[in-house]
Amino acid sequence: MDTEPQSLRGTRTAAAVLALLAAAGVLAALYMVFFYAPTETSMGIVQRIFYVHVPSAWVAFMAFGIVALCSLGYLWLRDERLDAIAVSAAELGTVFTTIVLLTGPLWGRIAWGAWWVWEPRLTLTLLLWFIYVGYFMLRGAAESAERGKRFAAVLGIVGAVDIPLIHLSVQWFRSQHPKPVILRPEGPTADPEIVQTLLVSLLAFTLLFFALLLYRYGLERLRARVEAARLRAADARPAAPIEGAFR
Amino acid sequence: MARFLAHAAAVAAKDLRLEMRSRERIVSMGVFAVLVAVVFSFALDPTIRARGIAGAMIWVTVLFAGTLGLGRSFALEAEQDALQGLLLSPVDRGALFLGKFAANLVIVLGVELVVFPVYALFFGLDFRGSPAALAGVVGLATVGFMLLGTLFAAMSAHTRLGDTLLPILLLPLLLPVVIFAASATQRLLVGRPPSEVMSAVKVLAAFDLLYLLVCTWAFGHVVEE
Repeated sequence: MDTEPQSLRGTRTAAAVLALLAAAGVLAALYMVFFYAPTETSMGIVQRIFYVHVPSAWVAFMAFGIVALCSLGYLWLRDERLDAIAVSAAELGTVFTTIVLLTGPLWGRIAWGAWWVWEPRLTLTLLLWFIYVGYFMLRGAAESAERGKRFAAVLGIVGAVDIPLIHLSVQWFRSQHPKPVILRPEGPTADPEIVQTLLVSLLAFTLLFFALLLYRYGLERLRARVEAARLRAADARPAAPIEGAFR
Repeated sequence: MARFLAHAAAVAAKDLRLEMRSRERIVSMGVFAVLVAVVFSFALDPTIRARGIAGAMIWVTVLFAGTLGLGRSFALEAEQDALQGLLLSPVDRGALFLGKFAANLVIVLGVELVVFPVYALFFGLDFRGSPAALAGVVGLATVGFMLLGTLFAAMSAHTRLGDTLLPILLLPLLLPVVIFAASATQRLLVGRPPSEVMSAVKVLAAFDLLYLLVCTWAFGHVVEE
């Protein structure tokens, strides 16, 4: 455990810079989503949710990759900072996976005629969400904080190994069944405006993710510092009356 | 390597001896599995032909009964901090994991020996079509289930939520195993030739190998003190 009070100033500055960039990116993306990109002909206005949905999914899966890498690093080096990044990424991953799972059905209701279908990508995202939920339940329920970090790291790694297997198997499972005809998700029409809007949106979400990640990381580090200070205070307290008694 | 396996066998023998004497896990899992079958037979509409969904029913039963038993697999060690004793013994963590895993595997395979005949009896199923292929599918799927299950049981035993947490962590990760196991079992049950499930057998074997490596490695980080 680190007790060395390192300055978080660098983290905060970087977070602020990224947040400004992300704000500019999100504004640009919003403008493009509503005024630049044309309305898709077959799906109509609801297709615009795609510019939130796809970047969220990208960020959610990237977050899971970060969780896995930092977990691996944490188990190896036992650096508290890696655990702080992992837990921050996992939390943001949960948020963005939730966004994917909320925006998906809104679009699917119109485009596919159903709120939910057991399509491979949907199934994978849902299971990713469950793994993220398990990550926090395991972390919170562990008997000690150190154990919680270790257990969560193991889950992060096993989950990352399992996610491709889940993807593989749900795809195999679907290919065993007749393809849905009406519910078939069509790829985006390769209209240049649509592609440009999506790219700007992807960039904006990525910047937003990293800005939030840095803020959340700073918070986690502060929390660890407060916890360490609290423990020191608890250690110091019982000594005082004894000292006085001998005086 | 021989020492490693001997250590693993010793841990497995210890667990199985305990189980032989108390029979608490195999009895509770077996009874639970039969009860699930009874519940299924009443919960299902009588017009539904059980043969069409038996693969799914059997694997749901095995998963639930297996998770129930896994929850107990580290309970003894957690109770009196007996895990400390095991960790202090000069046994590699990987051997310890393989021993616990092997004992769990034997117990759950024992439960499956009850589950399959009971389903055959209750729902008029016939598993005699290709017994070797069925044994291969069930065996490989159970190995995967127990590898992940033993790892996560070791973790959930050291949490405040205990056995409640185990299925929440385990079920999403087990999906790949369940998909291949249930669909292959279903195929064999309706009399398809064993060649049709060969791809599933290969995939399950590949999953098992991957889980074996990852879980044996990860276990060292779970139990360290």
